[in-house]
Amino acid sequence: MITILRAISRNLINEKFSVVNRVCFPQQLTYFHSGATLRCDVKPEENVNSSESNNLTADEIKKRQNDRTQVIPVETSMRYLKSSAYKETYGDQLVWEQYRRNHKGAIPPRKTRKTCIRKGVISTGNPCPICRDEYLVLDHRNIDLLQQFISPHTGQILSYSKTGLCQKKHFQLTVAVERARDYGLITFDVPFREFDLDEYYGKAEVKKE
Amino acid sequence: MFLRQIYNYANLRASFHALQRAASSTGNTGTASATLLYNRDPQPRFTDPETQKLLQSMTQLQLEKIFQKTTVPDNSVDYKLMTMDMLEDEFRKSIERAKNRLQMPPVVQMKKDERRIISNDSALSGFSDTKYVITDITYGLRQTERKVVVRQTDGTLEHAPMEITKRMHQLYFPLTGRSIRTPRMFADEHLQRCLDEQKYLFILNRMVVQFDPFEPEFHTISSRVYQHINETKQFDILRSTRHFGPMTFFFAWHRCIDDLLYDMVRRDYLQNAAELIALLYKLHDMEPNYKNILKQIDEIKPKEDLALKELEKALKRASSDVKEDIQSAIGKTQVDFELDDLCLPFIEDYISKHALKKVQLELATQTIKEINAEKRQLFEGISKAHGVA
Repeated sequence: MITILRAISRNLINEKFSVVNRVCFPQQLTYFHSGATLRCDVKPEENVNSSESNNLTADEIKKRQNDRTQVIPVETSMRYLKSSAYKETYGDQLVWEQYRRNHKGAIPPRKTRKTCIRKGVISTGNPCPICRDEYLVLDHRNIDLLQQFISPHTGQILSYSKTGLCQKKHFQLTVAVERARDYGLITFDVPFREFDLDEYYGKAEVKKE
Repeated sequence: MFLRQIYNYANLRASFHALQRAASSTGNTGTASATLLYNRDPQPRFTDPETQKLLQSMTQLQLEKIFQKTTVPDNSVDYKLMTMDMLEDEFRKSIERAKNRLQMPPVVQMKKDERRIISNDSALSGFSDTKYVITDITYGLRQTERKVVVRQTDGTLEHAPMEITKRMHQLYFPLTGRSIRTPRMFADEHLQRCLDEQKYLFILNRMVVQFDPFEPEFHTISSRVYQHINETKQFDILRSTRHFGPMTFFFAWHRCIDDLLYDMVRRDYLQNAAELIALLYKLHDMEPNYKNILKQIDEIKPKEDLALKELEKALKRASSDVKEDIQSAIGKTQVDFELDDLCLPFIEDYISKHALKKVQLELATQTIKEINAEKRQLFEGISKAHGVA
Protein backbone atom coordinates (compact mmCIF):
# COMPACT_ATOMS: atom_id res chain seq x y z
CA MET A 1 0.00 0.00 0.00
CA ILE A 2 2.71 2.42 1.00
CA THR A 3 4.76 1.67 -2.06
CA ILE A 4 1.77 2.33 -4.23
CA LEU A 5 1.22 5.66 -2.57
CA ARG A 6 4.84 6.56 -3.06
CA ALA A 7 4.58 5.72 -6.70
CA ILE A 8 1.49 7.84 -6.94
CA SER A 9 3.20 10.78 -5.32
CA ARG A 10 6.08 10.38 -7.75
CA ASN A 11 3.54 10.42 -10.49
CA LEU A 12 2.07 13.66 -9.38
CA ILE A 13 5.41 15.39 -9.64
CA ASN A 14 6.11 13.82 -12.98
CA GLU A 15 5.66 16.07 -15.96
CA LYS A 16 4.45 13.29 -18.23
CA PHE A 17 1.62 12.69 -15.92
CA SER A 18 0.22 16.16 -16.23
CA VAL A 19 0.31 15.75 -20.00
CA VAL A 20 -1.76 12.63 -19.67
CA ASN A 21 -4.05 14.57 -17.44
CA ARG A 22 -4.60 17.36 -19.84
CA VAL A 23 -5.45 14.99 -22.59
CA CYS A 24 -8.00 13.15 -20.53
CA PHE A 25 -9.56 15.90 -18.49
CA PRO A 26 -9.40 19.37 -19.83
CA GLN A 27 -11.38 20.85 -16.93
CA GLN A 28 -10.64 21.24 -13.26
CA LEU A 29 -10.24 17.58 -12.42
CA THR A 30 -6.55 17.09 -12.56
CA TYR A 31 -5.60 14.18 -10.32
CA PHE A 32 -5.27 10.65 -11.46
CA HIS A 33 -5.56 9.04 -8.08
CA SER A 34 -7.39 11.56 -6.06
CA GLY A 35 -6.80 9.60 -2.86
CA ALA A 36 -3.10 10.21 -3.02
CA THR A 37 -2.65 13.96 -3.15
CA LEU A 38 -3.60 14.47 0.43
CA ARG A 39 -1.02 12.18 1.89
CA CYS A 40 1.92 13.16 -0.21
CA ASP A 41 3.49 16.57 0.13
CA VAL A 42 3.58 18.14 -3.27
CA LYS A 43 5.90 21.01 -4.01
CA PRO A 44 4.01 24.04 -5.25
CA GLU A 45 6.55 24.99 -7.95
CA GLU A 46 6.39 21.69 -9.70
CA ASN A 47 2.74 20.93 -9.61
CA VAL A 48 -0.05 22.91 -11.14
CA ASN A 49 -2.65 21.33 -8.89
CA SER A 50 -1.07 22.42 -5.66
CA SER A 51 -1.93 26.08 -6.02
CA GLU A 52 -5.50 25.05 -6.34
CA SER A 53 -5.36 22.69 -3.39
CA ASN A 54 -3.58 25.25 -1.24
CA ASN A 55 -6.66 27.43 -1.23
CA LEU A 56 -8.82 24.61 0.06
CA THR A 57 -8.98 23.45 3.63
CA ALA A 58 -7.91 19.94 4.52
CA ASP A 59 -11.49 18.86 4.94
CA GLU A 60 -12.46 20.04 1.51
CA ILE A 61 -9.55 18.26 -0.09
CA LYS A 62 -10.45 15.06 1.64
CA LYS A 63 -14.03 15.38 0.56
CA ARG A 64 -12.96 15.89 -3.00
CA GLN A 65 -10.65 12.90 -2.99
CA ASN A 66 -13.18 10.55 -1.54
CA ASP A 67 -15.86 11.67 -3.90
CA ARG A 68 -16.82 8.97 -6.40
CA THR A 69 -19.88 10.55 -7.99
CA GLN A 70 -18.13 11.29 -11.26
CA VAL A 71 -18.58 8.48 -13.73
CA ILE A 72 -15.36 7.57 -15.53
CA PRO A 73 -15.95 6.25 -19.04
CA VAL A 74 -14.55 2.80 -19.85
CA GLU A 75 -12.48 4.14 -22.71
CA THR A 76 -10.56 6.32 -20.25
CA SER A 77 -9.98 3.35 -18.00
CA MET A 78 -8.74 1.27 -20.91
CA ARG A 79 -6.34 4.03 -21.88
CA TYR A 80 -5.23 4.37 -18.26
CA LEU A 81 -4.31 0.69 -18.05
CA LYS A 82 -1.92 1.19 -20.95
CA SER A 83 -0.50 4.50 -19.71
CA SER A 84 2.83 5.21 -18.06
CA ALA A 85 0.98 6.48 -15.00
CA TYR A 86 -0.49 3.03 -14.46
CA LYS A 87 2.87 1.42 -15.10
CA GLU A 88 4.54 3.54 -12.46
CA THR A 89 1.82 2.98 -9.92
CA TYR A 90 1.53 -0.79 -10.14
CA GLY A 91 4.68 -1.79 -11.98
CA ASP A 92 4.46 -5.32 -13.32
CA GLN A 93 2.23 -6.44 -10.50
CA LEU A 94 -1.46 -7.08 -10.69
CA VAL A 95 -3.86 -4.50 -9.39
CA TRP A 96 -4.80 -6.52 -6.31
CA GLU A 97 -1.45 -8.05 -5.55
CA GLN A 98 -0.18 -5.45 -3.08
CA TYR A 99 -3.53 -4.95 -1.36
CA ARG A 100 -3.78 -6.18 2.20
CA ARG A 101 -7.03 -6.49 4.08
CA ASN A 102 -7.52 -4.66 7.35
CA HIS A 103 -9.11 -6.73 10.08
CA LYS A 104 -9.18 -7.28 13.78
CA GLY A 105 -7.38 -10.40 15.03
CA ALA A 106 -5.45 -13.02 13.13
CA ILE A 107 -8.32 -14.64 11.23
CA PRO A 108 -9.91 -12.51 8.52
CA PRO A 109 -13.70 -12.42 8.27
CA ARG A 110 -15.03 -14.92 5.71
CA LYS A 111 -16.44 -12.26 3.44
CA THR A 112 -15.04 -8.91 2.48
CA ARG A 113 -17.02 -5.77 3.20
CA LYS A 114 -20.29 -5.20 1.39
CA THR A 115 -19.18 -2.05 -0.36
CA CYS A 116 -16.48 0.58 -0.10
CA ILE A 117 -18.49 3.42 -1.58
CA ARG A 118 -21.64 4.67 0.14
CA LYS A 119 -23.66 7.61 -1.16
CA GLY A 120 -20.98 8.40 -3.71
CA VAL A 121 -18.22 8.72 -1.11
CA ILE A 122 -15.55 6.28 0.03
CA SER A 123 -16.72 5.23 3.46
CA THR A 124 -13.70 3.28 4.60
CA GLY A 125 -10.07 3.86 5.33
CA ASN A 126 -8.92 0.85 3.33
CA PRO A 127 -10.98 0.66 0.14
CA CYS A 128 -10.66 -2.45 -2.05
CA PRO A 129 -8.26 -2.54 -5.04
CA ILE A 130 -10.92 -1.45 -7.50
CA CYS A 131 -12.56 1.18 -5.31
CA ARG A 132 -9.33 2.86 -4.26
CA ASP A 133 -8.32 3.70 -7.83
CA GLU A 134 -11.21 5.45 -9.49
CA TYR A 135 -9.81 4.87 -12.97
CA LEU A 136 -10.26 1.13 -12.74
CA VAL A 137 -13.67 0.57 -14.27
CA LEU A 138 -15.18 -2.88 -14.44
CA ASP A 139 -16.68 -3.40 -17.87
CA HIS A 140 -16.69 -6.19 -20.42
CA ARG A 141 -14.58 -4.12 -22.80
CA ASN A 142 -11.86 -3.53 -20.24
CA ILE A 143 -10.13 -6.85 -20.89
CA ASP A 144 -6.73 -5.87 -19.52
CA LEU A 145 -8.31 -5.33 -16.12
CA LEU A 146 -10.53 -8.42 -16.21
CA GLN A 147 -7.62 -10.68 -17.15
CA GLN A 148 -5.93 -9.77 -13.88
CA PHE A 149 -8.76 -11.40 -11.97
CA ILE A 150 -8.84 -14.66 -13.93
CA SER A 151 -6.63 -17.52 -12.86
CA PRO A 152 -4.28 -18.66 -15.63
CA HIS A 153 -4.38 -22.23 -14.30
CA THR A 154 -8.07 -22.85 -13.81
CA GLY A 155 -9.61 -20.14 -15.99
CA GLN A 156 -11.96 -19.21 -13.18
CA ILE A 157 -12.49 -15.86 -11.51
CA LEU A 158 -10.28 -15.48 -8.47
CA SER A 159 -12.02 -15.46 -5.13
CA TYR A 160 -12.50 -12.25 -3.17
CA SER A 161 -10.63 -13.87 -0.32
CA LYS A 162 -7.58 -13.69 -2.56
CA THR A 163 -8.14 -10.40 -4.35
CA GLY A 164 -9.82 -8.55 -1.46
CA LEU A 165 -12.51 -6.97 -3.63
CA CYS A 166 -15.59 -5.75 -1.81
CA GLN A 167 -18.73 -7.78 -2.44
CA LYS A 168 -20.26 -5.18 -4.71
CA LYS A 169 -17.23 -4.92 -6.97
CA HIS A 170 -16.81 -8.68 -7.00
CA PHE A 171 -20.34 -9.08 -8.25
CA GLN A 172 -19.72 -6.45 -10.92
CA LEU A 173 -16.57 -8.34 -11.87
CA THR A 174 -18.41 -11.62 -12.38
CA VAL A 175 -20.98 -9.86 -14.55
CA ALA A 176 -18.30 -8.15 -16.61
CA VAL A 177 -16.34 -11.37 -17.14
CA GLU A 178 -19.45 -13.27 -18.15
CA ARG A 179 -20.35 -10.56 -20.64
CA ALA A 180 -16.82 -10.50 -22.02
CA ARG A 181 -16.98 -14.25 -22.60
CA ASP A 182 -20.33 -13.84 -24.29
CA TYR A 183 -18.93 -11.24 -26.67
CA GLY A 184 -15.86 -13.36 -27.32
CA LEU A 185 -13.55 -10.69 -25.95
CA ILE A 186 -11.99 -13.13 -23.50
CA THR A 187 -11.01 -16.52 -24.86
CA PHE A 188 -11.34 -19.61 -22.72
CA ASP A 189 -11.01 -23.34 -23.20
CA VAL A 190 -14.28 -24.63 -24.58
CA PRO A 191 -15.18 -28.14 -23.35
CA PHE A 192 -14.55 -30.87 -25.89
CA ARG A 193 -17.64 -32.19 -27.62
CA GLU A 194 -17.43 -35.77 -28.74
CA PHE A 195 -19.69 -36.55 -31.66
CA ASP A 196 -21.62 -39.73 -31.98
CA LEU A 197 -20.91 -40.04 -35.69
CA ASP A 198 -23.62 -42.63 -36.31
CA GLU A 199 -26.13 -40.01 -35.31
CA TYR A 200 -25.10 -37.88 -38.27
CA TYR A 201 -23.94 -40.43 -40.81
CA GLY A 202 -25.95 -43.49 -39.86
CA LYS A 203 -29.11 -42.51 -41.62
CA ALA A 204 -27.48 -42.12 -45.01
CA GLU A 205 -26.12 -45.65 -44.82
CA VAL A 206 -29.57 -46.97 -44.18
CA LYS A 207 -30.79 -45.12 -47.24
CA LYS A 208 -28.10 -46.65 -49.41
CA GLU A 209 -29.16 -50.14 -48.45
CA MET B 1 -58.23 3.23 -48.98
CA PHE B 2 -56.75 3.97 -45.60
CA LEU B 3 -56.10 0.29 -45.06
CA ARG B 4 -54.42 0.07 -48.39
CA GLN B 5 -52.12 2.88 -47.42
CA ILE B 6 -51.13 1.18 -44.22
CA TYR B 7 -50.49 -1.98 -46.15
CA ASN B 8 -48.30 -0.12 -48.59
CA TYR B 9 -46.46 1.57 -45.78
CA ALA B 10 -45.79 -1.77 -44.14
CA ASN B 11 -44.54 -3.10 -47.44
CA LEU B 12 -42.21 -0.20 -47.88
CA ARG B 13 -40.83 -0.64 -44.41
CA ALA B 14 -40.28 -4.32 -44.98
CA SER B 15 -38.38 -3.68 -48.17
CA PHE B 16 -36.37 -0.97 -46.48
CA HIS B 17 -35.39 -3.37 -43.73
CA ALA B 18 -34.42 -5.96 -46.27
CA LEU B 19 -32.25 -3.40 -48.04
CA GLN B 20 -30.63 -2.39 -44.80
CA ARG B 21 -29.87 -5.96 -43.96
CA ALA B 22 -28.35 -6.57 -47.34
CA ALA B 23 -26.21 -3.46 -47.00
CA SER B 24 -24.99 -4.38 -43.55
CA SER B 25 -24.15 -7.91 -44.56
CA THR B 26 -22.05 -6.79 -47.50
CA GLY B 27 -20.40 -4.16 -45.34
CA ASN B 28 -19.33 -6.66 -42.75
CA THR B 29 -17.88 -9.25 -45.04
CA GLY B 30 -15.77 -6.48 -46.50
CA THR B 31 -13.45 -7.59 -49.22
CA ALA B 32 -14.38 -11.25 -48.84
CA SER B 33 -16.64 -12.62 -51.50
CA ALA B 34 -19.98 -14.11 -50.53
CA THR B 35 -19.76 -16.96 -48.06
CA LEU B 36 -19.17 -20.20 -49.90
CA LEU B 37 -21.53 -23.01 -49.00
CA TYR B 38 -21.78 -26.62 -50.05
CA ASN B 39 -24.05 -26.67 -53.08
CA ARG B 40 -24.90 -30.35 -52.71
CA ASP B 41 -24.64 -32.94 -49.97
CA PRO B 42 -20.93 -33.19 -49.08
CA GLN B 43 -21.42 -36.04 -46.66
CA PRO B 44 -20.87 -39.12 -48.90
CA ARG B 45 -17.65 -37.62 -50.25
CA PHE B 46 -16.49 -36.65 -46.78
CA THR B 47 -17.15 -39.97 -45.09
CA ASP B 48 -15.50 -41.93 -47.87
CA PRO B 49 -12.69 -43.98 -46.23
CA GLU B 50 -10.05 -42.80 -48.69
CA THR B 51 -10.94 -39.13 -48.10
CA GLN B 52 -10.89 -39.69 -44.37
CA LYS B 53 -7.46 -41.25 -44.58
CA LEU B 54 -6.13 -38.33 -46.61
CA LEU B 55 -7.62 -35.79 -44.24
CA GLN B 56 -6.25 -37.55 -41.18
CA SER B 57 -2.81 -37.73 -42.71
CA MET B 58 -2.90 -34.03 -43.55
CA THR B 59 -4.07 -33.11 -40.06
CA GLN B 60 -0.94 -34.67 -38.52
CA LEU B 61 -0.72 -35.94 -35.00
CA GLN B 62 1.42 -33.51 -33.02
CA LEU B 63 1.18 -34.66 -29.45
CA GLU B 64 2.54 -31.43 -27.95
CA LYS B 65 -0.22 -29.49 -29.63
CA ILE B 66 -3.05 -31.87 -28.79
CA PHE B 67 -2.06 -32.18 -25.16
CA GLN B 68 -1.05 -28.57 -24.71
CA LYS B 69 -1.69 -26.89 -21.40
CA THR B 70 -5.30 -25.96 -20.87
CA THR B 71 -7.18 -24.36 -18.05
CA VAL B 72 -9.00 -26.97 -16.01
CA PRO B 73 -10.69 -26.56 -12.65
CA ASP B 74 -8.82 -29.52 -11.23
CA ASN B 75 -5.06 -29.34 -11.70
CA SER B 76 -4.07 -32.38 -9.67
CA VAL B 77 -1.39 -34.80 -10.86
CA ASP B 78 -1.20 -38.55 -10.31
CA TYR B 79 2.12 -40.26 -9.64
CA LYS B 80 2.36 -44.00 -10.14
CA LEU B 81 5.01 -46.67 -10.07
CA MET B 82 4.91 -48.78 -13.23
CA THR B 83 6.70 -51.59 -14.98
CA MET B 84 7.93 -51.14 -18.53
CA ASP B 85 4.95 -53.02 -19.95
CA MET B 86 2.47 -50.93 -18.04
CA LEU B 87 4.22 -47.77 -19.18
CA GLU B 88 4.05 -48.86 -22.78
CA ASP B 89 0.39 -49.62 -22.36
CA GLU B 90 -0.21 -46.20 -20.88
CA PHE B 91 1.55 -44.54 -23.82
CA ARG B 92 -0.61 -46.47 -26.25
CA LYS B 93 -3.69 -45.34 -24.40
CA SER B 94 -2.65 -41.71 -24.53
CA ILE B 95 -2.05 -42.00 -28.27
CA GLU B 96 -5.59 -43.32 -28.57
CA ARG B 97 -6.81 -40.38 -26.53
CA ALA B 98 -4.96 -38.01 -28.84
CA LYS B 99 -6.62 -39.60 -31.87
CA ASN B 100 -9.94 -39.20 -30.16
CA ARG B 101 -9.29 -35.51 -29.69
CA LEU B 102 -8.79 -35.19 -33.43
CA GLN B 103 -12.25 -36.54 -34.23
CA MET B 104 -13.50 -34.35 -37.06
CA PRO B 105 -16.87 -32.66 -36.62
CA PRO B 106 -19.34 -34.14 -39.14
CA VAL B 107 -19.71 -32.40 -42.47
CA VAL B 108 -23.33 -32.82 -43.47
CA GLN B 109 -25.88 -31.02 -45.52
CA MET B 110 -27.75 -28.05 -44.14
CA LYS B 111 -31.16 -29.02 -42.84
CA LYS B 112 -34.19 -27.02 -43.92
CA ASP B 113 -36.91 -26.25 -41.44
CA GLU B 114 -40.23 -27.49 -42.76
CA ARG B 115 -43.63 -27.69 -41.16
CA ARG B 116 -44.69 -31.27 -40.47
CA ILE B 117 -48.26 -31.47 -39.22
CA ILE B 118 -49.26 -34.59 -37.32
CA SER B 119 -52.96 -33.95 -36.92
CA ASN B 120 -55.41 -31.11 -37.36
CA ASP B 121 -57.83 -31.11 -34.43
CA SER B 122 -60.00 -28.11 -35.03
CA ALA B 123 -62.21 -29.14 -32.15
CA LEU B 124 -59.43 -28.15 -29.78
CA SER B 125 -59.01 -24.64 -31.18
CA GLY B 126 -58.96 -22.02 -28.46
CA PHE B 127 -58.31 -24.55 -25.69
CA SER B 128 -55.60 -22.26 -24.40
CA ASP B 129 -54.13 -18.91 -25.28
CA THR B 130 -50.58 -20.29 -25.41
CA LYS B 131 -49.15 -23.17 -27.37
CA TYR B 132 -47.91 -26.28 -25.61
CA VAL B 133 -44.53 -27.89 -26.29
CA ILE B 134 -44.36 -31.58 -25.44
CA THR B 135 -40.93 -33.22 -25.16
CA ASP B 136 -40.03 -36.88 -24.93
CA ILE B 137 -37.56 -37.14 -22.05
CA THR B 138 -37.05 -40.92 -22.04
CA TYR B 139 -33.65 -41.86 -20.65
CA GLY B 140 -30.94 -42.98 -23.06
CA LEU B 141 -32.40 -41.80 -26.34
CA ARG B 142 -30.29 -40.05 -28.95
CA GLN B 143 -31.02 -36.39 -29.46
CA THR B 144 -32.08 -37.03 -33.05
CA GLU B 145 -34.54 -39.69 -31.96
CA ARG B 146 -36.12 -37.51 -29.33
CA LYS B 147 -39.53 -36.22 -30.38
CA VAL B 148 -40.58 -32.67 -29.64
CA VAL B 149 -44.10 -31.70 -30.72
CA VAL B 150 -46.14 -28.53 -30.44
CA ARG B 151 -49.88 -28.19 -29.88
CA GLN B 152 -50.80 -24.88 -31.46
CA THR B 153 -53.64 -22.75 -30.07
CA ASP B 154 -55.77 -23.56 -33.11
CA GLY B 155 -55.58 -27.24 -32.26
CA THR B 156 -52.98 -28.46 -34.78
CA LEU B 157 -50.41 -30.88 -33.50
CA GLU B 158 -47.09 -30.60 -35.35
CA HIS B 159 -43.40 -31.35 -35.03
CA ALA B 160 -41.58 -28.47 -33.39
CA PRO B 161 -39.37 -26.29 -35.56
CA MET B 162 -35.62 -26.79 -35.20
CA GLU B 163 -35.15 -23.80 -32.94
CA ILE B 164 -37.66 -25.02 -30.36
CA THR B 165 -36.36 -28.59 -30.58
CA LYS B 166 -32.84 -27.43 -29.85
CA ARG B 167 -33.98 -25.31 -26.94
CA MET B 168 -35.92 -28.18 -25.40
CA HIS B 169 -32.98 -30.55 -25.79
CA GLN B 170 -30.71 -28.06 -24.09
CA LEU B 171 -33.29 -27.54 -21.36
CA TYR B 172 -33.72 -31.20 -20.45
CA PHE B 173 -30.35 -32.64 -21.49
CA PRO B 174 -27.84 -29.79 -21.28
CA LEU B 175 -24.64 -30.04 -23.29
CA THR B 176 -21.74 -28.56 -21.31
CA GLY B 177 -20.54 -25.38 -22.91
CA ARG B 178 -23.69 -24.70 -24.88
CA SER B 179 -25.98 -21.89 -23.81
CA ILE B 180 -29.69 -21.63 -24.55
CA ARG B 181 -29.25 -18.17 -25.98
CA THR B 182 -26.75 -17.90 -28.82
CA PRO B 183 -23.61 -16.11 -27.58
CA ARG B 184 -23.34 -12.60 -28.95
CA MET B 185 -19.93 -13.52 -30.26
CA PHE B 186 -21.61 -15.15 -33.26
CA ALA B 187 -23.40 -11.94 -34.23
CA ASP B 188 -22.00 -10.45 -37.41
CA GLU B 189 -19.93 -7.58 -36.10
CA HIS B 190 -18.52 -9.41 -33.09
CA LEU B 191 -17.62 -12.42 -35.20
CA GLN B 192 -15.77 -10.12 -37.59
CA ARG B 193 -13.83 -8.66 -34.68
CA CYS B 194 -12.93 -12.13 -33.40
CA LEU B 195 -11.78 -13.09 -36.89
CA ASP B 196 -9.63 -9.99 -37.14
CA GLU B 197 -8.04 -10.92 -33.83
CA GLN B 198 -7.37 -14.37 -35.35
CA LYS B 199 -9.12 -16.34 -32.60
CA TYR B 200 -9.89 -19.05 -35.15
CA LEU B 201 -9.56 -22.04 -32.90
CA PHE B 202 -11.68 -20.45 -30.20
CA ILE B 203 -14.45 -19.55 -32.64
CA LEU B 204 -14.49 -23.01 -34.18
CA ASN B 205 -14.38 -24.83 -30.85
CA ARG B 206 -17.21 -22.75 -29.51
CA MET B 207 -19.21 -23.09 -32.70
CA VAL B 208 -18.92 -26.87 -32.62
CA VAL B 209 -20.38 -26.92 -29.13
CA GLN B 210 -23.01 -24.26 -29.69
CA PHE B 211 -24.41 -25.44 -33.02
CA ASP B 212 -25.20 -28.79 -34.54
CA PRO B 213 -23.47 -29.67 -37.81
CA PHE B 214 -26.68 -29.53 -39.81
CA GLU B 215 -27.63 -26.03 -38.68
CA PRO B 216 -27.28 -23.18 -41.16
CA GLU B 217 -25.24 -21.14 -38.65
CA PHE B 218 -22.69 -23.94 -38.45
CA HIS B 219 -22.18 -23.76 -42.19
CA THR B 220 -22.05 -19.99 -42.53
CA ILE B 221 -19.76 -19.42 -39.56
CA SER B 222 -17.34 -22.20 -40.43
CA SER B 223 -17.18 -21.08 -44.03
CA ARG B 224 -16.46 -17.52 -42.93
CA VAL B 225 -13.68 -18.69 -40.64
CA TYR B 226 -12.11 -20.88 -43.33
CA GLN B 227 -12.22 -18.10 -45.86
CA HIS B 228 -10.68 -15.68 -43.41
CA ILE B 229 -7.90 -18.18 -42.70
CA ASN B 230 -7.36 -18.54 -46.42
CA GLU B 231 -6.88 -14.79 -46.64
CA THR B 232 -4.55 -14.45 -43.67
CA LYS B 233 -2.82 -17.78 -44.45
CA GLN B 234 -2.66 -18.82 -40.80
CA PHE B 235 -3.22 -22.49 -41.56
CA ASP B 236 -0.78 -23.57 -38.91
CA ILE B 237 -3.15 -22.51 -36.13
CA LEU B 238 -5.55 -25.28 -37.12
CA ARG B 239 -2.94 -27.94 -37.91
CA SER B 240 -3.25 -30.95 -35.64
CA THR B 241 -6.68 -29.93 -34.41
CA ARG B 242 -10.03 -31.48 -35.26
CA HIS B 243 -10.88 -28.60 -37.61
CA PHE B 244 -8.03 -29.05 -40.07
CA GLY B 245 -9.73 -31.90 -41.92
CA PRO B 246 -13.04 -30.11 -42.55
CA MET B 247 -11.13 -26.96 -43.55
CA THR B 248 -9.03 -28.84 -46.10
CA PHE B 249 -12.12 -30.55 -47.42
CA PHE B 250 -13.82 -27.17 -47.74
CA PHE B 251 -10.94 -25.74 -49.75
CA ALA B 252 -10.71 -28.78 -51.97
CA TRP B 253 -14.45 -28.72 -52.55
CA HIS B 254 -14.41 -25.06 -53.58
CA ARG B 255 -11.18 -25.40 -55.57
CA CYS B 256 -9.16 -22.86 -53.62
CA ILE B 257 -6.31 -24.99 -52.34
CA ASP B 258 -3.44 -22.91 -53.74
CA ASP B 259 -2.70 -20.96 -50.58
CA LEU B 260 -2.84 -24.04 -48.41
CA LEU B 261 -0.63 -25.88 -50.89
CA TYR B 262 1.88 -23.04 -50.81
CA ASP B 263 1.92 -23.18 -47.01
CA MET B 264 2.49 -26.95 -47.03
CA VAL B 265 5.29 -26.75 -49.57
CA ARG B 266 6.97 -23.93 -47.70
CA ARG B 267 6.87 -25.88 -44.46
CA ASP B 268 8.28 -28.93 -46.25
CA TYR B 269 5.17 -31.09 -45.78
CA LEU B 270 5.49 -32.38 -49.33
CA GLN B 271 3.61 -35.60 -48.68
CA ASN B 272 0.67 -33.58 -47.35
CA ALA B 273 0.82 -31.33 -50.38
CA ALA B 274 0.58 -34.35 -52.67
CA GLU B 275 -2.32 -35.67 -50.64
CA LEU B 276 -4.08 -32.33 -50.88
CA ILE B 277 -3.81 -32.40 -54.66
CA ALA B 278 -5.01 -36.00 -54.68
CA LEU B 279 -8.02 -34.94 -52.64
CA LEU B 280 -8.82 -32.18 -55.10
CA TYR B 281 -8.59 -34.62 -58.03
CA LYS B 282 -10.74 -37.09 -56.16
CA LEU B 283 -13.50 -34.65 -55.30
CA HIS B 284 -13.76 -33.28 -58.81
CA ASP B 285 -12.87 -36.45 -60.74
CA MET B 286 -10.16 -34.53 -62.51
CA GLU B 287 -7.22 -36.85 -63.04
CA PRO B 288 -7.42 -40.52 -62.28
CA ASN B 289 -3.67 -41.05 -61.85
CA TYR B 290 -3.66 -39.80 -58.26
CA LYS B 291 -4.37 -43.30 -56.96
CA ASN B 292 -0.98 -44.52 -58.13
CA ILE B 293 0.93 -41.97 -56.15
CA LEU B 294 -1.08 -42.64 -53.01
CA LYS B 295 -0.32 -46.33 -53.34
CA GLN B 296 3.38 -45.61 -53.82
CA ILE B 297 3.43 -43.36 -50.76
CA ASP B 298 1.78 -46.10 -48.75
CA GLU B 299 4.36 -48.62 -49.89
CA ILE B 300 7.35 -46.46 -49.09
CA LYS B 301 6.12 -45.18 -45.75
CA PRO B 302 7.10 -47.60 -42.98
CA LYS B 303 4.54 -48.45 -40.36
CA GLU B 304 6.00 -46.92 -37.24
CA ASP B 305 4.77 -47.31 -33.73
CA LEU B 306 4.18 -43.82 -32.51
CA ALA B 307 3.63 -44.87 -28.91
CA LEU B 308 6.92 -46.71 -28.70
CA LYS B 309 8.75 -43.84 -30.32
CA GLU B 310 7.36 -41.40 -27.83
CA LEU B 311 8.19 -43.72 -24.99
CA GLU B 312 11.79 -43.96 -26.06
CA LYS B 313 11.95 -40.23 -26.49
CA ALA B 314 10.58 -39.78 -23.00
CA LEU B 315 13.07 -42.20 -21.49
CA LYS B 316 15.87 -40.51 -23.41
CA ARG B 317 17.53 -43.75 -24.18
CA ALA B 318 20.97 -43.31 -25.65
CA SER B 319 20.45 -44.26 -29.26
CA SER B 320 22.73 -47.13 -30.05
CA ASP B 321 22.55 -46.48 -33.75
CA VAL B 322 24.67 -43.92 -35.55
CA LYS B 323 21.99 -43.82 -38.21
CA GLU B 324 19.44 -42.43 -35.81
CA ASP B 325 21.88 -39.79 -34.65
CA ILE B 326 22.37 -38.61 -38.19
CA GLN B 327 18.64 -38.57 -38.80
CA SER B 328 17.91 -36.54 -35.73
CA ALA B 329 20.67 -34.08 -36.64
CA ILE B 330 19.35 -33.48 -40.15
CA GLY B 331 15.69 -33.95 -39.34
CA LYS B 332 15.00 -36.23 -42.27
CA THR B 333 15.38 -39.91 -43.00
CA GLN B 334 16.20 -41.83 -46.13
CA VAL B 335 12.51 -42.58 -46.52
CA ASP B 336 11.64 -38.90 -46.34
CA PHE B 337 13.98 -38.15 -49.22
CA GLU B 338 12.42 -40.91 -51.28
CA LEU B 339 8.95 -39.55 -50.53
CA ASP B 340 10.04 -36.08 -51.60
CA ASP B 341 11.29 -37.48 -54.88
CA LEU B 342 7.95 -39.11 -55.40
CA CYS B 343 5.80 -36.14 -54.46
CA LEU B 344 7.64 -33.30 -56.14
CA PRO B 345 6.90 -34.28 -59.77
CA PHE B 346 3.25 -34.80 -58.84
CA ILE B 347 3.04 -31.35 -57.28
CA GLU B 348 4.82 -29.74 -60.21
CA ASP B 349 2.45 -31.44 -62.57
CA TYR B 350 -0.49 -29.92 -60.70
CA ILE B 351 1.12 -26.49 -60.68
CA SER B 352 1.68 -26.47 -64.41
CA LYS B 353 -1.77 -27.78 -65.25
CA HIS B 354 -4.32 -26.47 -62.77
CA ALA B 355 -2.79 -23.98 -60.32
CA LEU B 356 -4.02 -20.40 -60.24
CA LYS B 357 -1.05 -18.94 -58.35
CA LYS B 358 1.57 -20.52 -60.58
CA VAL B 359 4.54 -18.20 -60.08
CA GLN B 360 4.37 -18.23 -56.32
CA LEU B 361 4.05 -21.99 -56.11
CA GLU B 362 6.81 -22.61 -58.62
CA LEU B 363 9.18 -20.43 -56.63
CA ALA B 364 8.29 -22.25 -53.42
CA THR B 365 8.86 -25.68 -54.93
CA GLN B 366 12.15 -24.50 -56.41
CA THR B 367 13.47 -23.27 -53.06
CA ILE B 368 12.33 -26.37 -51.19
CA LYS B 369 13.98 -28.49 -53.87
CA GLU B 370 17.27 -26.73 -53.38
CA ILE B 371 17.12 -26.96 -49.61
CA ASN B 372 16.31 -30.64 -49.75
CA ALA B 373 19.09 -31.31 -52.22
CA GLU B 374 21.51 -29.66 -49.84
CA LYS B 375 20.19 -31.65 -46.92
CA ARG B 376 20.44 -34.85 -48.90
CA GLN B 377 24.02 -34.16 -49.83
CA LEU B 378 24.86 -33.57 -46.21
CA PHE B 379 23.00 -36.68 -45.16
CA GLU B 380 24.80 -38.87 -47.64
CA GLY B 381 28.14 -37.33 -46.78
CA ILE B 382 27.77 -37.94 -43.08
CA SER B 383 26.46 -41.45 -43.66
CA LYS B 384 29.47 -42.23 -45.79
CA ALA B 385 31.85 -40.80 -43.24
CA HIS B 386 30.36 -42.99 -40.55
CA GLY B 387 30.42 -46.00 -42.81
CA VAL B 388 26.64 -46.42 -42.77
CA ALA B 389 25.18 -47.63 -45.99
